[in-house]
Amino acid sequence: MLDIKSLSASIDGKKILNGFNLKIKPGEVHAIMGPNGSGKSTLANVLTGKNGYEIKGQVLYQGKDLLDLPIEERAQKGLFMAFQYPLEIAGVNTNNFLKTSLNTIRKVRGQKEVDSLDFLKLVKTKTKNLKIDEKILSRQLNVGFSGGEKKKNEILQMTILEPKLAILDETDSGLDIDALRIVSDGVNALRSKERSFLIITHYQRLLDYIKPDFVHVLVDGKIAKTGCGELAVELEKVGYEKMGANK
Amino acid sequence: MILNFDEFQKANQSGSELNNIRIKNLNIFKEKGFPSKREENWKYTDLKTILSNNLSTLEIPNNKRTSQYNSEWLLKDFKHNQIVLVNGDFVSSDFSFEDKEKIKIKPLKIVLNGEKDFEKIRDYFTDQQNSLTSLNHALVNDGIFLEIEDNYSFNKPLIIYNFFNKFSENKIINNKSFISLGKNSKLNLLEYYKAEDSIKYFNNTIHNYSIQKNAMLKKFSIDSNLDNSYGYHLTNVKSYSNSIFENFLFSSGSSFVKNEIHCNLLESFSSCFVNALMFLSNQQHHELKTNINHKNEHCKSSQLVKSVLLDKSNGTYQGKIYVTKDAQKTDGYQLSKALVLSENSAFNSKPELEIYADDVKCSHGSTTGNIDQNSIFYLMSRGLSKEQANKMLIEGFLNEAIETITEPNIQLLISKLFIDKINKTKFEINEH
Repeated sequence: MLDIKSLSASIDGKKILNGFNLKIKPGEVHAIMGPNGSGKSTLANVLTGKNGYEIKGQVLYQGKDLLDLPIEERAQKGLFMAFQYPLEIAGVNTNNFLKTSLNTIRKVRGQKEVDSLDFLKLVKTKTKNLKIDEKILSRQLNVGFSGGEKKKNEILQMTILEPKLAILDETDSGLDIDALRIVSDGVNALRSKERSFLIITHYQRLLDYIKPDFVHVLVDGKIAKTGCGELAVELEKVGYEKMGANK
Repeated sequence: MILNFDEFQKANQSGSELNNIRIKNLNIFKEKGFPSKREENWKYTDLKTILSNNLSTLEIPNNKRTSQYNSEWLLKDFKHNQIVLVNGDFVSSDFSFEDKEKIKIKPLKIVLNGEKDFEKIRDYFTDQQNSLTSLNHALVNDGIFLEIEDNYSFNKPLIIYNFFNKFSENKIINNKSFISLGKNSKLNLLEYYKAEDSIKYFNNTIHNYSIQKNAMLKKFSIDSNLDNSYGYHLTNVKSYSNSIFENFLFSSGSSFVKNEIHCNLLESFSSCFVNALMFLSNQQHHELKTNINHKNEHCKSSQLVKSVLLDKSNGTYQGKIYVTKDAQKTDGYQLSKALVLSENSAFNSKPELEIYADDVKCSHGSTTGNIDQNSIFYLMSRGLSKEQANKMLIEGFLNEAIETITEPNIQLLISKLFIDKINKTKFEINEH
């Protein structure tokens, strides 16, 4: 699914990712943990296609070079990132945005566009599952949403777009325990043999709900240690410093 | 570009009261000429230069006037009363949704030529706002005279169709409208513009509204289906006790247009709202100038102007709130937000507050900026192309103005016209 080979990324001359390697197979759930500033969000941004990074190395996505693709084509080919800080977009109606996004992607994939009525049915089921107040659909995108609502809205988008590879950038931060459980249930419901996840988090807590196949510790822009779910528990006990972080 | 008045002067030598007014105003115009940027109010809009660069000939209409229009231009699927003006002349009216006893409607031409009627509008000819006002007094040919009785609320909106056929090509069309709403009456009014085959002409209009106690006038002006037109629209409003005036301007089609709105809040608890959407591309030049005069206590005014400028377009908003010393407890607000999306486009904003009372609440704000690139990234990460993302953000930005419309049916209509317009627009956006 995803093969990252010695990826380096710097911004304004500052190296953030430095020889990063990672392989994700279809159906696998990988967690990346690491201290502040270790490059977790940069990894997510680079994979999604955000401008402003000086990039070296190679990223193969479904066997093809990902880094050459424009942002929207990555999304159209099934890459999805749940933002750490979802943007507030004034004047854009949430329901319209979701529908435009889904239909744009479906069109590119040669699928029939979903009409307004069917879309409403679909989105209503999804919001119900995620215990999201339907009213947010008629509101402006993320404008005035609470922290929890914004994060749930990211997961809502993910469940509607049904990506092949989903990157969750600190989706757990700012969520209370109930919301965390709902969001995790949403992710778990999407787990399948064909779909992979890359979960970026500070804390082990999320991984109690979403059981990863692999846990990687990111330190100074590269992976310092890889293990199974147990590694997250250990990290929680000993902290990042023992893993080689000198901060 | 020089206007030739010989024929006009010959035709107006009779010495009647109206002819004397015409000749007097013509002389005032001749002395001043078209407004140029030497005048403070025209600092951002040098009309003299704009006209001479774009309309090499400009003629006063002769008597061979025509009144054909394409019935396809009328708005469908929207129940409404209508008045059709072609080249500024009153052609027809249809008030089939209303109680005709309660409405007095006349072509202005009849009012101008009837001694008794002329009484009612004579005073308006003394207004010397600028040289275009004088020119309008001199050359006005026709227009609308509408009186609504006390306690009458219109069942359906009234659309005033301002159509221009080939007769108007290279001509200056001067018309006026007088609309008065009696106590407790209500009217929703749409001014809708359309011209044949992209002809060039200059339309110089004065609208006079009088809104009596407890009455409500909601006015919408839509030029999005024009293209090569040049225009100046002056609106004078007299608001009496507890009345409401709402003005929405969709300024997007004309090559050049200056809308100037003067609201006079004459009695207490009256209010006025001026909201506008300016969406300009190519070499369009649009200006909105407002002058809100708070002349009595407890009056409220609010203005929201949202503008998007592409290509080489130029937009201006000059918004003034004037509060006399007697107008205590005034609540005045104005906000202008513009997205300037090309290096060659420009937006000028000049907010002005002039306050002589000491117990008032007035505020103004103005921002000019570009599209947020993080928002673009967010939308593109959901599969939208850059053009789709830009369009969605621009649409969202301008929608805020459309959302101020308090009549749901009219909001829907304007929303559709706006989407038509935005879908026809090509977006070339600089990231600067």
